[in-house]
Amino acid sequence: MHATIQKDIEEIIGYFKAGEKVFIVGCDNCAAKCHSGGIPETQEMANRLQKRGINVIGWCVPQPPGVSLCKLSNTKKVLQEQYGDQIKEADSFLVLACGQGFHTVLDATEGAMVHPGCDTIFGGETVSDNFITEYCSLCGECIVDFAGGLCPVTLCAKSLLNGPCGGAKDGKCEVDRNRDCGWQLIYDRLRALGRLDQMEAYMPPKRYSKWSRPRSLTLGDGEATFSSLAGSHTVVNHD
Amino acid sequence: MSKLRQALESGKFVITGEVGPPKGVDLGACLHHARELRDKVVAINVTDLQSAVMRIGSMVVCAKLVEQGLEPVYQLTCRDRNRLALQSDLLSAWAFGIKNVLCLTGDHPALGDHSDARPVYDLDSVQLLKAASTLNNGHDMAGHELEGKPDFFLGAVVTPAADPLEPQKIKMKKKIEAGARFFQTQAIYEPERFEKFMNQVQKLGVPVLAGMVLIKSPAMARFMNANVAGINVPDSIISEMEETRKEDRKKKSVEITARIIRQVKSLCQGVHIMPLGWDELVPDVIAEAELK
Repeated sequence: MHATIQKDIEEIIGYFKAGEKVFIVGCDNCAAKCHSGGIPETQEMANRLQKRGINVIGWCVPQPPGVSLCKLSNTKKVLQEQYGDQIKEADSFLVLACGQGFHTVLDATEGAMVHPGCDTIFGGETVSDNFITEYCSLCGECIVDFAGGLCPVTLCAKSLLNGPCGGAKDGKCEVDRNRDCGWQLIYDRLRALGRLDQMEAYMPPKRYSKWSRPRSLTLGDGEATFSSLAGSHTVVNHD
Repeated sequence: MSKLRQALESGKFVITGEVGPPKGVDLGACLHHARELRDKVVAINVTDLQSAVMRIGSMVVCAKLVEQGLEPVYQLTCRDRNRLALQSDLLSAWAFGIKNVLCLTGDHPALGDHSDARPVYDLDSVQLLKAASTLNNGHDMAGHELEGKPDFFLGAVVTPAADPLEPQKIKMKKKIEAGARFFQTQAIYEPERFEKFMNQVQKLGVPVLAGMVLIKSPAMARFMNANVAGINVPDSIISEMEETRKEDRKKKSVEITARIIRQVKSLCQGVHIMPLGWDELVPDVIAEAELK
């Protein structure tokens, strides 16, 4: 999931010119789980902005329940078919969702002025209803197998691939003594699995060309193509 | 061949020192400290934006040392440069007559004075050693041939008092396989613990220089214990400093450091003295440790 957090209300207000007619769009998937852009938060944002003198002309969180705002076909259909008049009237849109959902609204409104209401902070695991944390950096080249399934690129503050730096103290990272040293976690796990030999093998530098942006995925019949600065790479997902 | 390499390969007990480049362009004091180490140490480490604090670069200070007939150990961290810049800086360093390189990960920018800087770490210290070894062999990391190749004597660091120690030992072995030919350690204050470490790594056959940091005050020792990984100053040493009057603390610091050196010198191939500003005391430490 894409974790998001609402921007400070003053920063959001700063986007709008006097009298600007604003329509607010939330997301019923990730932003709803993050309490940054579900139905209650989107409605509340409309109230808070109106209270501060912003001309909010409407809001919506595209349905069906649980659908992602970043699914362009659905978002476009909902906005045009259910909110057509307001969409035409709006000077701008405020999006309470991640950067992908944000851009989906830009596409769905064919290039209208869109303002971000959230900061997109990471891709994470929803560990519980009130805790989301990051285990993957979306690097484009998964290497977790050698590390017992724990990603050093994400869990180590320095993304080191060949073992810990000298900065950990009592198993905690030098950047924050409340945070676990990623390599301590990997070492403990490999030891428990009886696979410390995997820590002894040299890991070559990552191919950061696979982490170039923007990247894309194109889907065909039984195949998928990943494009990045490392080139285009097609995988057939059946025999 | 570098003097450091010659000395270590001949089996001599080696002393190295260290200077930290200043924030600014006035190199006067830094070079003065380095000159004071002339004929006392074989080589002088020059730190690379130590503690992730922005300063003048390690390479230029190393080049100045070469100009003055002193031998530097160029500390190069992975924090601020990607693989292009690291390899390029290594070639530039060789052109300046710099022959020893200590390859390090580098303190995280979050610890320094530009904490919003983007951390690089395109390579880690093992990969950097391998890249430098590849340059020594006449190629860059992409496999392209070099016009003229360097011949660096490569070193790395290890933390003997790390807990757990095993990941450090695993990484030390990887560093040797990647080209490390000497090690300098985090500061040592417990000779017994260091002896246990050396018993485990002696078989790797790579010289180890035990790190020595001069303790300036009980507060500094407590600060290091609380904040610096892999450093453990025993209470007995803290008490010794506490019981010493302020004006006698330099003398006491020399006495403690020299005593630790005497206790560890039969275990390792040399010592690396990091005076952290008390540079003028290094000659006294060497004399009192009976190293000359």
